[in-house]
Amino acid sequence: MTNASEVLSSIQSAFPGAVLDSRVESDRRLWATIDSKKILDVCKHLTNKLNFDHYSGSAGVDWIARNEMEVVEIMASHGAHKVVAMLKVKTPRENPSVKSLTGLYWNANWYEREIWEMFGINFEGHPELYPLLLSDQLIGSWPWRKDFKGYPDLTTGERAVAITTPEGYTEYRFPPTPAEVEAGTVVAERPKYPTFREREEREIKSDSEMIMHLGPQHAMVPGPFLLDVLVEGERVKKGFLDVGYIHKGIEKIMENRTWLQGIVYTDRMCYVASLSNNECYCGAVEKILGLEVPERAQYIRVILEELSRIQSHLIGTGEFLTLVAGVGYAPWQYMIIDRERIISLIESVTGARLTHTFVRFGGVRNDLPDDFAEKCKTTLPYIKSRVNEFIELFAQDAIYQKRMENVGVLSAEDAKRVGIAGPALRASGVAYDMRVEDPILVYPDLDFKVIVGTKGDCADRVDCRLREILESIHIIEQCLDRIPAGPIKPEAKIPKKVPAGEAYYRVEDPRGEMGMYVISDGGDKPYRVKVRGPFYATLQTLPPLLEGVYIADVVAIAGSMDGCPSEADR
Amino acid sequence: MDIIDSISQFAIQEPALFALIIGIIGAAVISGVVNVGAMLVIWGERKVLSDFCNRFGPNRVGGRWGILQLGADAIKLFTKEDIIPGDADKGVYVWAPIVASMATMLVAAAIPFGALHIGGKDYPLVVANMDISAFYVEAALSLMAIAVFMAGYSSNNKYSILGAFRGIARMIAYEVPMGVCVIAVAVMAHSLNLVEIVQSQTLWYAFAQPLGFAIFVIALITDLGRIPFDQSEAEEEIISGYNTEYSGIRWGLLYFQEYNNALLGSILLSLLFLGGWQGPIIPIPVLDIISPLIWLFMKVVIVLWCLIWVRASLFRLRIDQVTDLGWKWMLPLSLLNLGWAVVVGSYFA
Repeated sequence: MTNASEVLSSIQSAFPGAVLDSRVESDRRLWATIDSKKILDVCKHLTNKLNFDHYSGSAGVDWIARNEMEVVEIMASHGAHKVVAMLKVKTPRENPSVKSLTGLYWNANWYEREIWEMFGINFEGHPELYPLLLSDQLIGSWPWRKDFKGYPDLTTGERAVAITTPEGYTEYRFPPTPAEVEAGTVVAERPKYPTFREREEREIKSDSEMIMHLGPQHAMVPGPFLLDVLVEGERVKKGFLDVGYIHKGIEKIMENRTWLQGIVYTDRMCYVASLSNNECYCGAVEKILGLEVPERAQYIRVILEELSRIQSHLIGTGEFLTLVAGVGYAPWQYMIIDRERIISLIESVTGARLTHTFVRFGGVRNDLPDDFAEKCKTTLPYIKSRVNEFIELFAQDAIYQKRMENVGVLSAEDAKRVGIAGPALRASGVAYDMRVEDPILVYPDLDFKVIVGTKGDCADRVDCRLREILESIHIIEQCLDRIPAGPIKPEAKIPKKVPAGEAYYRVEDPRGEMGMYVISDGGDKPYRVKVRGPFYATLQTLPPLLEGVYIADVVAIAGSMDGCPSEADR
Repeated sequence: MDIIDSISQFAIQEPALFALIIGIIGAAVISGVVNVGAMLVIWGERKVLSDFCNRFGPNRVGGRWGILQLGADAIKLFTKEDIIPGDADKGVYVWAPIVASMATMLVAAAIPFGALHIGGKDYPLVVANMDISAFYVEAALSLMAIAVFMAGYSSNNKYSILGAFRGIARMIAYEVPMGVCVIAVAVMAHSLNLVEIVQSQTLWYAFAQPLGFAIFVIALITDLGRIPFDQSEAEEEIISGYNTEYSGIRWGLLYFQEYNNALLGSILLSLLFLGGWQGPIIPIPVLDIISPLIWLFMKVVIVLWCLIWVRASLFRLRIDQVTDLGWKWMLPLSLLNLGWAVVVGSYFA
């Protein structure tokens, strides 16, 4: 078993002088500042020699006081060991530029594009640096830098120019000043997202092909994201994906809210899984604060997060069923009705159906009601029998098998390579679950299996999700048996200001690995919150899966990923 | 009896005029019956499907059964703005719903809607009692494919054109086995006349040729464009398929024809395979006259209920699987069934 200090010494011995600064936080966390010239070599070394085969994402940080920017590469392993390496690469604030990792990791593409459009850090060697989350006009304003004044500039209003378009809309344009162009903080010629016409002209080769919209306004998409498919007859030749339709800038908003207020925003990232978002943020802050969570509160959190996983999987599967069977298909309604029971269980504790804001730093907001265990004892066996029925139903349904088997197959190697997350990854046979890899709360004491599939097709993904519900029920039953009496909040008062520090905390969201990278500069607000969302990772893997399938399968594949574009866009 | 006498005298004196008058009256009655029936089918589908899904369905307009919901919907459709896309082929676009209505009315003209049992004899209720009515009905049903293609092609919309192509591919693949099944029934009945086919069923053809029955049911569901064969308007894939661009009452007409077809298709299935209006005569005055009607009605309701049941419990097939099934399985099997019908039919005849 590798641990963090071994990883560090391995890097140091392989590349003397490459590690500028390092901190071994625990066996599982390594923080290291890497020389920007050597980052590619270090990553290669980590991947090839030390089994860091999971590129988990990257975060940009603007250290305006130190006049430098940082890109933090988050590296982990798919089960070979449990170390998460946070590799920081520093670059000056003028003309910031670092080496792109897209050559090494396929999924680095989107993370780097996001950092580029938000911070203006150029990635050398990135194949397609054009807008992903932002609109074309905002490129060049670098909104997540600390000196961003708002758009249009809220302090002076001078930099933005209101232009009335021929259609009568008002558009705001950002003419960069010559000084900005010279300094390189504004790209002289903005890369633009290709328009539909441009894409048609570029991609359509023959008269029998056409590009069809599946989203952002389409019955298929669970929320707005654009999926264009190039089709020839019924066959899809290529898929194009664009996100950012509901980009809310939550990470930036949280920098302007107090630590406590931030919890509310984590709810809104994904309303079907808001409890694990709460947990992720609070866990990261607790890590910086060094807070111990009382045992009862830990159990309450686990119970609620598992309940939330059950309801999320139920609606995820239900939505998938409407996509492949039509809205008249009865079992999807059964799932929604069953989900309602779980929701009312959660509601009896948190008081809200979807956006709970329930987890607090070092505890939870309130205790379980007296009859909670009793209610669980009637509801959970019922859900269990229903889910067993669903599993049996799909296993026996010949049409379902014909439609779903060997559709959208993602092999284990590919799944690891593209960095897909959650049940969609486990369906490919990779047992990668944050509850085991990076155990939090009381998960190490609990007995549960990591559900894996065999083939990684649509049927497997759905089956994994359903069987995970059974495991969740098993976890909750154990928790209810073991939950001790005691306080639900820490004794000491939680300070308004969090001491300077940083933490990366991972939880198993219903959609997969969710990580939050929280930095505090000692103030009453977070300095930076980076959310590594699971569906952002999953969504990126969609276009390659769509090549060569039928249009009906596009819908099935996208549906089997259990999407939440709201959380992907944040 | 004076009235009947004078009518029959008129019929003898002016046969052409009489036939015209009967035709016009019949057309009015038929279109009324079919359209009202289709409205009830829509309402029934919404209620029954809701029941399958553990919901309530329409329950506000017109009391707790929501019986006036359809009236409300119809008013809404009539008063909605009628939009014709700028790039659409206007003439074809406008005519498509009308062709669809015509197709269903043509089918309705030749379908016996039951019989009246008077004085120990069945008088079938049919407007056009042709010798080849089974063949004619089958042919008229496939006119719907043309309407669907007109609607999809003229809309100038990518989803519509895909829906139209899917519709055509599906209907070609399934009209053939369906037609072969009708022929198999005709072979056993020694007639292509629907009335005679019903009268010849001492043993229901569903039992005499179970394979043919199964193929006909599947082909019928395909023809009606219902799940698992609703690829031409799979809303999760291609929005609404061939009628994506339609709105207001034009959309309403297209939508309505699907349910007209569902009703007529169920009647056709009952006539061909389930013994039509045959059944024990109810020995109560008045009721004995309409007892064949009651039997047919019950059969049709059961068939419709089963169609909704199928919708609530099956997944949608992919279009390549649909055509595969049609050409590679249904067609050979329907020919096999035809052979069976020839052998058994000639043996019993």
